[in-house]
Amino acid sequence: MNPAVTLAEIEQLTTRLAAIGTPLQALLPAIAVVLLALAVVPDMRRYLGPAVAASAAVLLAGEVVLAWFHWRLYDLAVVVSPDTGLVVGRVAVPLWIESEKLYVWALTVAVLAVCIRRQREQLLPGVTVVLALLMLGAAFWGKPFTEPLPNFLGQYTGYLAAMASGNVGQMMGAYQGMEGARQFYYNTAYMWVHPPALFFAYGTFAISFVATLLMVRHRHSSFETTAYRWIRLGYIPFTAGMLLGFPWAVIAWQGESWWWSGKVNLSLMMWLLYTAVLHGRLYLRRPGMWRWVAALSILSFVVLVLTYLATYVVPGAHSYL
Amino acid sequence: MSDAHAKQWDYLLMVLTVALLGSLGVQSFLGTLYVWWASSSVPGFEIAGYGRFVWWMNAIAAPQVVALVLVMGLCVPKRLFDRTALIGVSAGMVAVGLAAWALSASFQTGLAVYLALAALIQVGVVALTVAGVRGPSYLTEGRLVKTGSGLLHLGFIVFAIVVVALQRSTFMLPVFWAATALTLAGTLLAFYADRLAWRRRVRVEVERSYDEE
Repeated sequence: MNPAVTLAEIEQLTTRLAAIGTPLQALLPAIAVVLLALAVVPDMRRYLGPAVAASAAVLLAGEVVLAWFHWRLYDLAVVVSPDTGLVVGRVAVPLWIESEKLYVWALTVAVLAVCIRRQREQLLPGVTVVLALLMLGAAFWGKPFTEPLPNFLGQYTGYLAAMASGNVGQMMGAYQGMEGARQFYYNTAYMWVHPPALFFAYGTFAISFVATLLMVRHRHSSFETTAYRWIRLGYIPFTAGMLLGFPWAVIAWQGESWWWSGKVNLSLMMWLLYTAVLHGRLYLRRPGMWRWVAALSILSFVVLVLTYLATYVVPGAHSYL
Repeated sequence: MSDAHAKQWDYLLMVLTVALLGSLGVQSFLGTLYVWWASSSVPGFEIAGYGRFVWWMNAIAAPQVVALVLVMGLCVPKRLFDRTALIGVSAGMVAVGLAAWALSASFQTGLAVYLALAALIQVGVVALTVAGVRGPSYLTEGRLVKTGSGLLHLGFIVFAIVVVALQRSTFMLPVFWAATALTLAGTLLAFYADRLAWRRRVRVEVERSYDEE
């Protein structure tokens, strides 16, 4: 590996990604505004279905571009041991981290929105608002095409610079950091299962949230059934994702009190709340119980949003601060 | 246990569980807010203050977690025993746990033994449910749904054993995978029994307005 050549190739790759992705990234807010208009104006709601399908197609096209970027990056991002000069492995950066999180969440909601069958007409306006907000977030906050993977590229280019410096101490320090991140973060099976499972669950919970709001508004059990169906669809990958985090956390965060990290805490709270919703609805025949179930369901989604934001504002083991 | 009593007991345990989970949730939320505030307002918090914060959080959470584990254990025999026997079995489980604590001088061991007893009873509950024996009482209907519910609760008990007793053991991973498989298979069965059933029953959804309530 020649660090200077690799660095130049990575710069070339990110430039190409920006060239392809900039129009797409600019298109996202425009689509979001159209979606919001269609969701808000009752006469235009008949166009919501095709508009949501078109949005899903655009987001999917963008995801293909991002997958290509990751594939090329996998070719370039090799880790070489300074001791032996041999390649110890490549970094397989998952498709749903850092700048790409909101984009993947938006894509998930868009695809799920296309799949809605039961009470589709009533659900679509609310789900579209959620989708539009996520697309705006992906365009203005995430910026996956113009500012891709800032943490990974920052660390990897730092590693390349250290390898080019010839300073043994620097080289060893950068190598250990990069190899540790490769083995225990980027390339772990956990990172390829835990985030997508949770994003899928977040998507279904968003739809369930909309159905719960409709239940409160119309005071009718059919919306509760819809909300429940979406929660149960997400609850399985959600539970799987949370459980799979446990052995990883025990090893990767050994010696840290990770269970009191803000993100882990709020995630556990969210799981407990959705579990409480599922248990609470077993008693729906009790008078007034639907209010408790609705309140718990809304609170669960509020905690979901807080959980997402906690990663960026509360320090701790599972934090990007 | 009579059906009405069983449902009342179920409800009481559910309220207790939700109350404990709620208080743990409130503690977690307040703790998170505190860390958020302290990390920007208290100089050197992450070096000096975070350790103290963790100590306090552990100290406040410990009795709640123990109570939660106890309630979780009590949820298990309720499926099998009538009210009088239930009190005896529950008291017996707690007594065995306390004895294990006293003998081993380890609170963790006491909890693990208590959970192991709960797991054993839950295995019995699942076996009886699968066999279709009238006995285990559930809030849900249908053998597959009940089996799913039994399996997923067994999974959680086994997971609790992993957290309480096996974190540094070589058995941690295999037992963890067993707990995960039980939980996920159980949840799948409990949620989608009507689609997985060999003989499908068409369920009629009873719709109603909440306006009368």
